[in-house]
Amino acid sequence: MSPEIGELVAALPDGFDEEKAPDEALQTLLSSLANKPVPVGRLTRFWALGSLKAKIALAYMAWWLRSGYVSGDKRAATLNETHLKSAIKLLGTMSYLRGSIMKIGQTLANYPDVVPDEFVDTLSALHFEAPPMHFSLLREQVRNELGRDPEEIFDEFETKAFAAASLGQVHRARLKTGQEVAVKIQYPNIARTIRDDFKNFNALLLPMRLTKDWDNFRAQGEDIFETLELETDYVNEAECLKAAREAFNEDDGVVVPEVFEEFSSGRVLTMEFIEGKHVDEFMATNPPQEVRDRHGHQIFMAISRLYYGLKIVYADPHPGNFYFMEDGRLGLIDFGCCYRFTDETWKYCANVERASHGPIDSEAMDAALLYSVDLTDEAQMGEERLGLLRDYCTWMWEPMQEDAPFDFGDPEYLRRGMQLYGDMIRKRYTRSQPINTWLARSFVGARAMAYRLRAKFNLKAILDTETSVK
Amino acid sequence: MRITAKAKEETRERITESARKLFTDKGFDETTTRDIASEAGIATGTLFNYYPSKEALAMSLVAASLDAGRLDFEARRRGDESLEEDLISHIMTGLRRLQPHRGYVGAVMETAMSPFAKTGLCDDADRTREEHLERVTDLTASHGLGGAPPFVVMHLYWTLYLGVLAFWSRDASDKQEETLAVLDHSLRLFVASLKTGHTKVEVNHVT
Repeated sequence: MSPEIGELVAALPDGFDEEKAPDEALQTLLSSLANKPVPVGRLTRFWALGSLKAKIALAYMAWWLRSGYVSGDKRAATLNETHLKSAIKLLGTMSYLRGSIMKIGQTLANYPDVVPDEFVDTLSALHFEAPPMHFSLLREQVRNELGRDPEEIFDEFETKAFAAASLGQVHRARLKTGQEVAVKIQYPNIARTIRDDFKNFNALLLPMRLTKDWDNFRAQGEDIFETLELETDYVNEAECLKAAREAFNEDDGVVVPEVFEEFSSGRVLTMEFIEGKHVDEFMATNPPQEVRDRHGHQIFMAISRLYYGLKIVYADPHPGNFYFMEDGRLGLIDFGCCYRFTDETWKYCANVERASHGPIDSEAMDAALLYSVDLTDEAQMGEERLGLLRDYCTWMWEPMQEDAPFDFGDPEYLRRGMQLYGDMIRKRYTRSQPINTWLARSFVGARAMAYRLRAKFNLKAILDTETSVK
Repeated sequence: MRITAKAKEETRERITESARKLFTDKGFDETTTRDIASEAGIATGTLFNYYPSKEALAMSLVAASLDAGRLDFEARRRGDESLEEDLISHIMTGLRRLQPHRGYVGAVMETAMSPFAKTGLCDDADRTREEHLERVTDLTASHGLGGAPPFVVMHLYWTLYLGVLAFWSRDASDKQEETLAVLDHSLRLFVASLKTGHTKVEVNHVT
């Protein structure tokens, strides 16, 4: 079970009448990030996290108290108002604490049916509209990394960012050869910020250390930290981009930007500029069903190609990373958050697939699920947890059961999956192999994209092709 | 024998070049005025005709670098920068020129330019501080934050500036990346304080 999904479900506002208190539920929304300066000191960051928690908890507590005196539509209106206020406060703090936890905000924004609309609207802005760092600071960072000012390196460099990246921002520029490029520049010192975030969360979680699943929980956390820290290394991202670019041919209709190594470093990444629309903008053009289906197909084909062909989990499939291009191709950018399989995790995933393809093999499935929650004893697993995990896997593999187009735009399908997450979180079934964090981000994120596209396509056919290519 | 102005200037240059070389090779603390004089081919007593102390000599090197940095800053300005951008660029162009002196700039600043240092002890230090603050005053004024900011604001700026310099001189991060973050914070703090100074404060009068 992914901690991020746990955060997502715990953040659902309709959990008030369940066992979680509102402030506890919202604690998981204590996120941070973005564009004002990163507080370097750990204590400063800790203070900001605590402060936000108090503000959001108070907003919800106020709603909770007030809701006892209102009913019906008025109650719903008040809830919306409270969501909006909290979303704004959340965004405010996120603007202050740029860093690794932006991932939580992005993940939330990916689930339009699960979190309140106001959260989606507000958090969606994080992908593309976070206010930029000013140019003088960027210029110094570029000079540190590439030895010259952007004005000297590029024929033209737009001083205003056109996109916010989770760890920095992206500027349009033109090389002296005339090539249009996107230059991703990391905020100074972000790696240390991530380390501080991790220490803060460990401190927040200390009361849990005596619980039976503490070691597992900590292992998951460390895995997240290591992957996020890897994300600060743009050299690693450039290598992933190059490998991914070679994995697709012209007929695939998928474009991965070319990296210009001469103008790249550990903190600056210069890539080919991809022109296209993001999902909301694309959907606003009322594209016909077959075009949406083709893009849904491209997304899953691309993620599957990386998975089976390169043994990479594309763990960041949020809307900002997909461009729908005028000529019908799909642009796939941002390879910072990629998880590379080890032999052990690859074997585990292969076992789950073998058990789930076609008619489900219950015995093989149960053995894989036991491993997936990091347990060796079936008695520890318990019938209820096993049942929920089986249902979750069945839900995940449902679109692959029939050799026919599956309707990913069906809200009922997404809702059922979220309900299963919710059940597992409420029952505290959070033990998991760290790999599941990245698999869940990738699989659920891709499903959310297909949902937003209201796309129908044959996933089984995609997987059959991609596994045979492997 | 009469010493011409030209000869004096050449001697001064020999002294500063020798000092620059020795500070870099041996370190500031390990270098004595005797070493510098010897390297420059002059008597130690002669060196004191030019510079009253090793710190004053180092300060002249620092001041020359900061002067060059200021020229870099003016050359890089586009004219549409925000105050924060101007200030960060103003400081960073100086720091880049100061890079060869990073190992000993702390000792020099402490002696000659810290808020505790007396004025009048070192001409280069006094001039550098005045010119730097004048430029900051001009920049704040050009961004519509009033004419000369009050001495309190300039003192705050100078303290932040020296704090950044102190951090930078000991910054062990790769390419002194952490200094950029500290500088960004410090200048946002400073600019915020300027803006606060422009808001009206309500005061309760007791009669």
